[in-house]
Amino acid sequence: MKRPRIVLIEDDTWVQQQHARVLGTEFEVHAAANALEGIDAIDRIRPDAIVLDIFMPGPNGVVLLHEIRSHVDLAIIPIILATNNAAEISLAQMKPYGVVEVLDKTTMHPEDLPAAIRKALS
Amino acid sequence: MPHATLVAVMEGTDNKSSQRGGTSMNVPLFMTAAHELKSPLALVRQLSLTLENGDHSPAEIEKIAHQITLTSERALRLTTDLTKTSRLEDSLFTLEPLNPASLCESVVEELAPLYRAKGKNISFRSRQRTLLALANKDLLRRILLNFANNALHYSADDMPVVVSAQLREKGSRIRLSVRDFGPALPKNVWGFTARSLGPTAQTLHARPESSGLGIYIAHQFAEAMSARVGTVRHRDGATFYVDIAASTQLRLF
Repeated sequence: MKRPRIVLIEDDTWVQQQHARVLGTEFEVHAAANALEGIDAIDRIRPDAIVLDIFMPGPNGVVLLHEIRSHVDLAIIPIILATNNAAEISLAQMKPYGVVEVLDKTTMHPEDLPAAIRKALS
Repeated sequence: MPHATLVAVMEGTDNKSSQRGGTSMNVPLFMTAAHELKSPLALVRQLSLTLENGDHSPAEIEKIAHQITLTSERALRLTTDLTKTSRLEDSLFTLEPLNPASLCESVVEELAPLYRAKGKNISFRSRQRTLLALANKDLLRRILLNFANNALHYSADDMPVVVSAQLREKGSRIRLSVRDFGPALPKNVWGFTARSLGPTAQTLHARPESSGLGIYIAHQFAEAMSARVGTVRHRDGATFYVDIAASTQLRLF
């Protein structure tokens, strides 16, 4: 059975590895280190879901959300935000951008990430 | 076309009383520090939970444990820097003649494991024989550690970060710099960065999406020993530097 494809956009190499480690057993993970790599990966892979950090060097996650939203074919992809600043970002604010879950990296359990993706894909 | 298109220098000797973080650590700095500490602590927590709950190979366990160690050390460096920043007003920092090349090499040696673990490379290059510098060894070392830590985040994987020492102003000053190679920043973005550097240094935005706390700390430390820090934008990255006085003793021989 084909595994769901995830584009994971996270600038910190070790956080990226950590997420990929947890997701890798269940999903096909394609990692990107910044928004530009991320949009390229999304274009190529057409993932089933996107995991996105907000604060990154260069164009940040919000810029990427706007970009994704501007493409009709990409706007339907569910997005999970994984950020250290979840307290400052409400899901209600982000829902118009296709965000289905905001995970707080400072309090979440590693398994919360695959659980959020499963929920988004169900 | 010259590489350097903009130079911004923070003077270290003016308006000291109003600039120093000192004992009156302001709220934005406090919040920035908390924000900066969140990332390594959150990562350590995630890695620890992974170790607790997962069924990992010995190699994987070793890798995760190593990442926990290096990430903790990064957080501890920051807390030590913040403590020192808050006590700058009350402390006297002895300036002593020191070998800047040796200091650069020790910084490279200290950060090399972290760079290697991140798949990056840091090296020291001395462009010429440098004189002894007159500085506080601990503060100068911490300035370079902050620059190199900043460079780690922004350098491209296949390009080394270079720490170097060179004479300036006819040998009266010595410049220690950390050069990273990465994607060029748009001019307007760099313009914003440069405007952030100034005599009334706040928590500087060293790079877009960076809190700039490390650079701010470097500025405070430089000021405490009458040095100055600055940055140069290149087409392919940036240089952060500290200019310190050369030891006049050496002019005798």
